[in-house]
Amino acid sequence: MRRLLPLLLLVAAAAHAHEIGTTQVRLSVHAGGAWTASITTAPLSLLNKLEVAAGLPRSGALDAGALRAKLAPLLPRVASLVDVRFDGAASPASVAIAALEVPADVSRPAFVVLNASGSVPPNARAFTFAYGLTYSTYALTYDGRTVWIEGDARCAPLPLAQSAQPPTRAQVIEQYLVLGFQHILPKGLDHILFILGIFLLTTRLRPILAQVTAFTVAHSITLGLTMYGVVSLSSRIVEPLIAVSIAYVAIENVVSTELKPWRPAVVFAFGLLHGMGFAGVLRELGLPRGSFLPALVSFNLGVEAGQLTVIALAAALVGGFRDRPWYRRRVVVPASCAIAAVGLYWSIQRLFG
Amino acid sequence: MRPPAIASAALLFAAALQAHDFWIEPSTFHPEKGMTVSVGLRVGQNFVGDPVPRNGPYIERFVVKQGRDEEPIDGMNATDPAGWFTANGRAAAVIAYASKPSFVELPAAKFEDYLRQQGLERIIAARAQRGERAKPGREIFSRCAKAILTGARASIAVTQPLGLRYEIVPHGDPTFGGAPFRGRVIYQRTPAPGMRVEAVFLKQPSIRLSTRSDAEGNFSFALPRAGVWLIKSVQMIDAPRGSKAEWESLWASLTFDAPPAEGRP
Repeated sequence: MRRLLPLLLLVAAAAHAHEIGTTQVRLSVHAGGAWTASITTAPLSLLNKLEVAAGLPRSGALDAGALRAKLAPLLPRVASLVDVRFDGAASPASVAIAALEVPADVSRPAFVVLNASGSVPPNARAFTFAYGLTYSTYALTYDGRTVWIEGDARCAPLPLAQSAQPPTRAQVIEQYLVLGFQHILPKGLDHILFILGIFLLTTRLRPILAQVTAFTVAHSITLGLTMYGVVSLSSRIVEPLIAVSIAYVAIENVVSTELKPWRPAVVFAFGLLHGMGFAGVLRELGLPRGSFLPALVSFNLGVEAGQLTVIALAAALVGGFRDRPWYRRRVVVPASCAIAAVGLYWSIQRLFG
Repeated sequence: MRPPAIASAALLFAAALQAHDFWIEPSTFHPEKGMTVSVGLRVGQNFVGDPVPRNGPYIERFVVKQGRDEEPIDGMNATDPAGWFTANGRAAAVIAYASKPSFVELPAAKFEDYLRQQGLERIIAARAQRGERAKPGREIFSRCAKAILTGARASIAVTQPLGLRYEIVPHGDPTFGGAPFRGRVIYQRTPAPGMRVEAVFLKQPSIRLSTRSDAEGNFSFALPRAGVWLIKSVQMIDAPRGSKAEWESLWASLTFDAPPAEGRP
């Protein structure tokens, strides 16, 4: 950013009356509903302004460590003077020091880079920016465009780049429903095999519903708790255990013909693990800051829809044969053995791979 | 931020909206022989300012005078500090910076506030007489900044005008002794009477003195504290014909480090 200054000065020289200072701002609006601004400015000048405004004694020349120590407690005051508004509504900023350099060579400039950030409301169309800690003209760059702002004045509204406009609540719900569904069908082969394991145990509807309900409740609990940071388990533990759960339900299908009393409890326990697995995926996808809960619930509902679709497809495929005497021998046992083999292979692979 | 601090910050920066001072801040006011001194340019208010990087096309003159020797101040364009020089350590060094004029237009109310803030009531009266009070203020402005760096002994050279269009010239070397600061304001090499002149103390900008120059352009301040002071004054005249402005302002400043003395802790 600092390398831009010569070019910016050249471009601006004829157009701006007030002196151009060393402050530069680069603002980005992210699709996830957040904005960030990198503010490069002179550290001692910034500190002196804050000190004088607060009635504190003005500091003289300081090294980088001392400047950082003096600036740190004043950052909330800086944040209150970074004024970003989306369609007129203020978006409170938080500010942190990203870099601070004070060269020993007096002919080289000192600078501090402040990282400011905040959230973008849904449906926002344009934003304005004002920085109340500068007297000079400075450049704000956004989406490849540079605007010049005089001192603490507010810039004219800048339209949000199309790609950066945060999605609406309805768009978030739709997006995460689809993501949840796709995480099962077609992407979630391990979860599909686990659901098929549940389906194959019995030809009666009630035991299947009991297991699916236990599984759903369990994975919903750990998905939510993991995403909110209440529980945490390494994927190195979760992923092998999910594979073990697949092998377990499939093997039990081979050795048992009916729903044992402990089976829903075991499925519930495995559901807890699968929920953590879903959370791992969801964390990689990211949740929009402004629509965290709707996105989480939508993702979970998408997962449910995916699971029910798996059961519906399985029922459509073999449901007509479930009353046949050979159904268990020719469908349940071979399919369960295949699922168990895959589950065991994954268990070993994920444990030692 | 606590509410009172917010209020004071808002007031401080609101005051800055109309008028920005301009001054020179060297890396030291007491250079030793052979020392590289960086010269920072500052724009701001209450002696708190933003660094102004060197902007070659806008520089009219940027020199340092040490004894009888005057030399241009070198620097890299678009960087802060705006320049640097090597101190000879013998005589006081006087740095002078003059900018080319820039154009600015302010809404009528803001322009009048700024004129009042700078003690330019005669311009308010002139605008009223011309029926221009409701019109935006259009002016070109130039900076005429100086700084005195203490030498090994008091120097008479600092009392000589450097030829800036509007200039604050001390009667004696203010970096030596404890006498009140006495000086004069000079416009186009002639004394400027009736001009408001202010003095602001760096460490505590709330310490601010104000006076007006007499018929010979002279003024004086009994500086109450030792340390770095900014003396400043703004001249305003009719803009030259052919410019798109009605007014032209010249911003003179002088920075120096006043030594401790009796009655000046």
